[in-house]
Amino acid sequence: MAFTLFLFISSFVFVLHAQQRTIRGSVVDERSEPMIGATVMVNGTQNGTITDMDGNFTIQAQTGDVLRVFYVGYTESLVTIDGKSEKKIILKENTEMIDEVVVVGYGTQKKSDVTGAMVSIGDKELSARPVSNAFEAMQGKAAGVDIRTSDRPGEMGDVFIRGTRSLTASSSPLYVVDGVPLNGTVGKTPEEDLNGLSNSRGGVLESLNPSDIESVEILKDASATAIYGSRGANGVVLITTKKGKDGRFTVNYSGSVSIDEIKDRTTWMSAGEYLEWRRWAYYYRDSSVYPRGDQPTQANDKAIFNGDNDPYAWKNIMKGWSGGTWDGSKVSTTDWTKYVTQTGITTEHTVSGSGGNEKNQSYVSFGWLNNKGTIKGQDYNRYTAKVSNDLKLTNWLSLGATVNATYSIQNYGMSNDGGTTSGPNSAYAAATRNLVYAVPYDDEGNRIEYPGADSKIKTVVDEWQYSKDERKVFRALGSFYAQFNLGKIWKPLEGLSYKVNFGPDFRYYRRGMFNDAESVNREGVNYASLTKSTDFSWTLDNLLYYNKSIGKHDFGFTLLQTATQYEYESNYMAAEGIPLSSSLWNALSTTNISALKSWDSSLTEKQLLSYMGRINYTYNGRYMLTASVRRDGASQLAEGYKWSTFPSVALGWRIDQEEFLKELPWISQLKLRLGYGVTGNSAIAPYSTKGAIASLFYPFGSSPTAGYVGYESQLADGAITLANQKLGWEKTKQWNLGLDFGFLNGRVSGIFDIYTSHTSDLLMLQSIPSLTGYMATYNNIGETKNFGYDLTLNLVPIKTRDLEWNIGLNAAYTKNEIVSLANGKQDDISNGWFIGESVNVIYDYESAGIWKEEDAAEMAKFNANGHNFQVGMSRPADQNDDYKIDANDDRKIIGHTDPRWTLGIGSNITYKGWELGIQLYGRMDYTYNTGGVWVGGRYNVRSYDYYNENNKNAEYQKPIFDEGGKDAYYYVLGFKNGSYLKIRNISLGYTFPGKMLKGTGLSNLKLYAQCKNPGMVFSHIDFIDMDTYSNTYNSGLTFGLNVTF
Amino acid sequence: MLAGSLTLPVITSCSDFLDEKLTTDQNTEYFDTDEGVESLMTGIYYNLRYHFAFEWGFSTTNYGTDEFIVGGDGSNAMWNSYISSLSSDIPVVNINTTHAYDVWDNMYAGIATANTLIKKCETYTGSKKNEALGTAHFIRGFNYFKLLRQYGGVPIKLEPSTSVELEFTRATSQEVMDQVIADLLEAYAKLPETESVEGKLTQSAAAHFLAKAYLWRASEINDSWNASTQSADLDNVIKYASEVITDHPLATNFHELWAYTTPDGSNEKLSEVVLAAQFTSADATQGKYGNPQHLYFLNIYRDLPGMARDISGGREYQRLRTSYYTYNVFNHLNDSRLWKSFRTKFNCTKASTTGTNDTYVAGDRGLMFILNQPGDNRFAEIWNKESVKDAETGKLVPTTFAIYPSGSNETSNPMEGDTYLKYYAPLSKYMDGSRKTVSQEQGYRDGILARSAEDYLFIAEAYIRKGEYTEALKYITPLRTRAQWKAGEDRANYIDGGGAWNENALGWSVYTAVAGKGTYCNRNSYYESNNVAAGTLNSQASVLTVTDITSIANLPAEDRSVCEKLGVSSAYDVAMCFLLNEKTREMCGEFVRWEDLARTQTLVKRAKAFNKDAAPNIQSYHSLRPIPQTYLDIIQKEGKALTADEKKAQQNPGY
Repeated sequence: MAFTLFLFISSFVFVLHAQQRTIRGSVVDERSEPMIGATVMVNGTQNGTITDMDGNFTIQAQTGDVLRVFYVGYTESLVTIDGKSEKKIILKENTEMIDEVVVVGYGTQKKSDVTGAMVSIGDKELSARPVSNAFEAMQGKAAGVDIRTSDRPGEMGDVFIRGTRSLTASSSPLYVVDGVPLNGTVGKTPEEDLNGLSNSRGGVLESLNPSDIESVEILKDASATAIYGSRGANGVVLITTKKGKDGRFTVNYSGSVSIDEIKDRTTWMSAGEYLEWRRWAYYYRDSSVYPRGDQPTQANDKAIFNGDNDPYAWKNIMKGWSGGTWDGSKVSTTDWTKYVTQTGITTEHTVSGSGGNEKNQSYVSFGWLNNKGTIKGQDYNRYTAKVSNDLKLTNWLSLGATVNATYSIQNYGMSNDGGTTSGPNSAYAAATRNLVYAVPYDDEGNRIEYPGADSKIKTVVDEWQYSKDERKVFRALGSFYAQFNLGKIWKPLEGLSYKVNFGPDFRYYRRGMFNDAESVNREGVNYASLTKSTDFSWTLDNLLYYNKSIGKHDFGFTLLQTATQYEYESNYMAAEGIPLSSSLWNALSTTNISALKSWDSSLTEKQLLSYMGRINYTYNGRYMLTASVRRDGASQLAEGYKWSTFPSVALGWRIDQEEFLKELPWISQLKLRLGYGVTGNSAIAPYSTKGAIASLFYPFGSSPTAGYVGYESQLADGAITLANQKLGWEKTKQWNLGLDFGFLNGRVSGIFDIYTSHTSDLLMLQSIPSLTGYMATYNNIGETKNFGYDLTLNLVPIKTRDLEWNIGLNAAYTKNEIVSLANGKQDDISNGWFIGESVNVIYDYESAGIWKEEDAAEMAKFNANGHNFQVGMSRPADQNDDYKIDANDDRKIIGHTDPRWTLGIGSNITYKGWELGIQLYGRMDYTYNTGGVWVGGRYNVRSYDYYNENNKNAEYQKPIFDEGGKDAYYYVLGFKNGSYLKIRNISLGYTFPGKMLKGTGLSNLKLYAQCKNPGMVFSHIDFIDMDTYSNTYNSGLTFGLNVTF
Repeated sequence: MLAGSLTLPVITSCSDFLDEKLTTDQNTEYFDTDEGVESLMTGIYYNLRYHFAFEWGFSTTNYGTDEFIVGGDGSNAMWNSYISSLSSDIPVVNINTTHAYDVWDNMYAGIATANTLIKKCETYTGSKKNEALGTAHFIRGFNYFKLLRQYGGVPIKLEPSTSVELEFTRATSQEVMDQVIADLLEAYAKLPETESVEGKLTQSAAAHFLAKAYLWRASEINDSWNASTQSADLDNVIKYASEVITDHPLATNFHELWAYTTPDGSNEKLSEVVLAAQFTSADATQGKYGNPQHLYFLNIYRDLPGMARDISGGREYQRLRTSYYTYNVFNHLNDSRLWKSFRTKFNCTKASTTGTNDTYVAGDRGLMFILNQPGDNRFAEIWNKESVKDAETGKLVPTTFAIYPSGSNETSNPMEGDTYLKYYAPLSKYMDGSRKTVSQEQGYRDGILARSAEDYLFIAEAYIRKGEYTEALKYITPLRTRAQWKAGEDRANYIDGGGAWNENALGWSVYTAVAGKGTYCNRNSYYESNNVAAGTLNSQASVLTVTDITSIANLPAEDRSVCEKLGVSSAYDVAMCFLLNEKTREMCGEFVRWEDLARTQTLVKRAKAFNKDAAPNIQSYHSLRPIPQTYLDIIQKEGKALTADEKKAQQNPGY
């Protein structure tokens, strides 16, 4: 920071040495408010300054010089110096915000010329509230972009653009940072990248500091994404990081602190409720042995609650018997979650410096994010550094370099690696399994290892000390370019330039995991594993640009040749019985461990080679045409199937520029867009056409003998798919019709897009009959279609000098449908795919509630056909009324699981320096499988409406203590409407007026507070947070500060 | 310079750049090489381990029979109780639930490998062609035989697939039977007579399963079509099984089979073992499951006073509870197999436990099961807390369960009530103390697929079917003779695989530090159960002689009781009843029971009589398993998915 300040001061020194006349002046806006920080430059020189707190400036200039005065969001003003030494300059607000320049694939475009469907989110929106990754800031702000939430520190939710269209291939968009498309960044971890065909997380964004992001552009329709060809089908996210700006030197600090608490939507049973519930569970297991739940006996309690084996839990239960008769409210309830939760504190600091002149622009920043999670043992530290420099060496050559580097340490929290397969996977989940009537400590204060004496329920107390899963990631993303303006070298080439762009991406990943013998998922012996991997990829673009205007005709041509290579290597080792616990995973050596439990190393490589040509044509600023064609060749496809072509064409018509509309003052903008494009989905894992085989060791006697087979389910890696040499890209053809509009001087504006897409050659993991020797194969078969519309609407109901109210609404509807499958119009029940239905559906028995006493006669008819129904059990619907529940006749489509609607609503009121905002987010019209309530009666359970002799009209079936679950269809009671609308945050900010900052050395100071996840507007499922897809969510307060010097 | 920068970074040769090189693994082309064929011949053995992997094995063979009922954990209870969820699409209780398709899919995976191996042998030029073909035909025949035993007729596929195939239809039982015998005959002709290394397939293995297949074809389940082959088949049973008997003499003492003390120890190398799926302690050989059978038969002991779970005692999955039929079918006094197959004494593991009358330290007896007789009035309760003395130590045992407490009778099955479901004397044939940790599921013991004792029973059954009862008895007697106590044999001596938890075991160092001693106890409750003074019978030999198996009156009491309960009377039925009882005594829990009962059409009767969970639900159609819904949903007929009616037509009746 000291260095940045030095640069900042020296720039003034540089200005002062000119020996000319002093011109004084002030810069104000249309309301005569002084403008702070506006740039004033003598045109054609390096001589410039910035206005102070009162909008005043002084500059050395000669008569006849032209002063260039500019400020972001305002129209530049040119003032010629005459005899006067005082100048008052008024800058007009640039109302035509649509004419900002936006980033499109392989270049930039004036927003008014854009013909595709896209969303652009700028620096201002990204920094409006403190977030640890950029997608969090975008949630609910971009129509058609569904961003899921993850509460684990350092993790991001899934991202879907315009829903899903693929059956098994990834629905993850392509991420492009500073022009470099990223490879292998789909998953959170490299392992997920490789095996996660369906993974859709926005892996790169969490490693970028949101403060370093200038803008995020999301290309939604195929006419825009087709220039990314085989990787464009799921949309493209273009991230542009900040660069230095000509003329202004600033130092910015932003910091925030957030305090979060974990909240649980599920209400768990109290000890008294649980004890009664479990008694009922026994009663319904065998009413001849066990008393009714509401008629307990001490003897029975002692037997069913393991009284002999955990005297402390029994002592607690006996409190309920202290009065002679049972009183459940006297039993104390242990809240196990308090042993694993903590107040989450996140602090974030970013210091950045930026500035430059015509020849040289720089941006540097350093950021630190420290996130202590709301669950003990989970935290995340991220250090980000960014350096960007652009040099204009001559009038024909520019060079530039940007490096984004991140180092992060994530403590993932409790791990169930190397544990039992059914063990809990988070400390919170483990805590909610601990029995509420049992107690954590014995009389001596030692923790009770199995509270309640159930060997499957180990105590969660101190778990955070016993289970560690630490992940370190170093990532460096670079973008280096050289641009040759060939027209400046040789006049006839005017308009032609050549750019070479090199983008390396390096990631180092280290995961160390240690579960002590005492941890929940281990019994008696510890376990450690160490994974290290690196992935390196590079992209090399050669680009030729040619721009030419002939009269009213404007042409732009782009030619691209690009190559990408990706290489991933990893190694892994794991061992049990590490002698010294404190050594964690750091001493898996031959001196400590007699043998490793498991080990692995691997190498994966893939390459992509592409050519692309594009033409942009505009006639008279009104009619636009964009056409492109891209050809991609990919290494992971078999010979003869490697290459594919992806064309696109789009038309735009700026209706507002037509004479007949210029008369209508209430129309400020109207543009119609029509686009068509073909894109691909490249999510085919390397080597999947090679016909892998499974290697194994079979021990003849004691000697392990190496062997191979095609498929073996008993091996961890043995579930191999039938190789398909003909595998190719999945292709999507999409039509998009869009309208950009602005009325009443911008009071009403928005974008409406309607689209329909057709995806063919679907990449499917298709189940096949096991008679073939395989269970599945990847195949290009079938078609789906997608239809939807995205609406973004911005309203400004109030706009006065001091008060402004903005409402932003975005809504997206998307509906996908399977058109055909492997065998034409044939349903594929075993894969759950049905013609004319959504891609993801629940196909199962329908619930008819529970069996009631009055249904006894009906029930008897079922039982005569071999069923074992009882009153109080769940009742699947008998679709064909034959009194037999049969998989052939009685299963049906219960509902689709992808939300049809995603909705974001934002409201923002500013009054003078104050700013009050609220954001709502929701998903609607879909079915979610909550799984019902498990009938086992062994673990803790949420407080729910269950059948018993006193509650015969219950929502859920009667509990039966039986691990086998006599009530086989209980889960059909769990299919629920998943719709919800959630208040994402409420924020309040204050920006100090310039006058107050006078004399402080600050040019801008903003303070804000934000409340995250304060509540739900509505949700049909009250025990799951449908935003996090878990019962828990984080809620808290953030305080932040943003200072510019 | 400009030209240089233009051309330099351009990748010119696209053909090289896009080549995909897989350097780290073999691919299917490997099987076209001689080396690849030989590696496939090794790899195919892995499929044999399926019968011991996970819970599939016992749920499809031991559940739903007379020998076992569900213990404290019912993850696979539908396989025992035949409730309606035992259907083509079994609702999953938890991840342990055996699906309708598990046997199906895994058998076809092995068949597909065999088909590939047979195909690749056409171009194989090495010296192991006969062995490769023999192995492939054995696995194919063996797997089709398993499918037949579970599902009846199934689709027959004899060529490897290189692309998706969807059109399949079920063959008849007869056609599958013919295929099984053809493959096994081919294997018999090609396989070597003796094994080059432990665990390899031999001619004897083929002979054993040929005998079993001929016997299957001649059995009641095929009565509608087997008349023409029956007589010749029975002769073939005798022929092939006799060869196995000659080549694979019985172990001298029944307990040698189960005396597992270390991975790949002497019990796995006995001549009696004809074929065993191989498992060992090397991590690379474990796969997902290893041999986890040590888990499933065990009773709960860890929550009883003085006891804690340990490696020698095993992890108690309590899936299979020993039934009263099983306790009672043995002669408790004279048949040593009862005491060599079931565990009745457990040691305390806790350093010190204070009881009401005494203090118990690790190594004291902590738990005892009294396998007594109805009418025995020595025990006031089922659960006797510190009131029964260990006959040898003289110390009271904290927990003693008596299967017949005072006042109970033969029909009351007092411990089958809910309270005691998790407490029973467990089958101990698979216990594995050689594992590293108590929670480790992957065990190291070999899984026996064929031992020559069963061949004696094959021959005996063939003679019974021929009506030559005296001849039949000649092949039962050797097993019963071996089961007699020898003079001088310590009848309270006890051995199980828990004994592999010793100073050489992988888990020894971890657990000695914790508890000092395990629950493993090398004594049994023979004397306490039989109410005989400790040690007094050790000097004598016992007698288990049977002279006539055709009349109930001449049968031993334990068999008479079963026959009476089943209501059998004809010579043939009585003899078969005796034979099936004998098979329990000899091979209880060895993954053959359900199939034997289904084959002989005695399943419904025996399950109704002895399995309280199955009794209310079982019907005759339960002798075949439901065809998996996954198969019915995926196959096609003339390019079209099957209609509901077409699917039902391919389903076994009743499901």
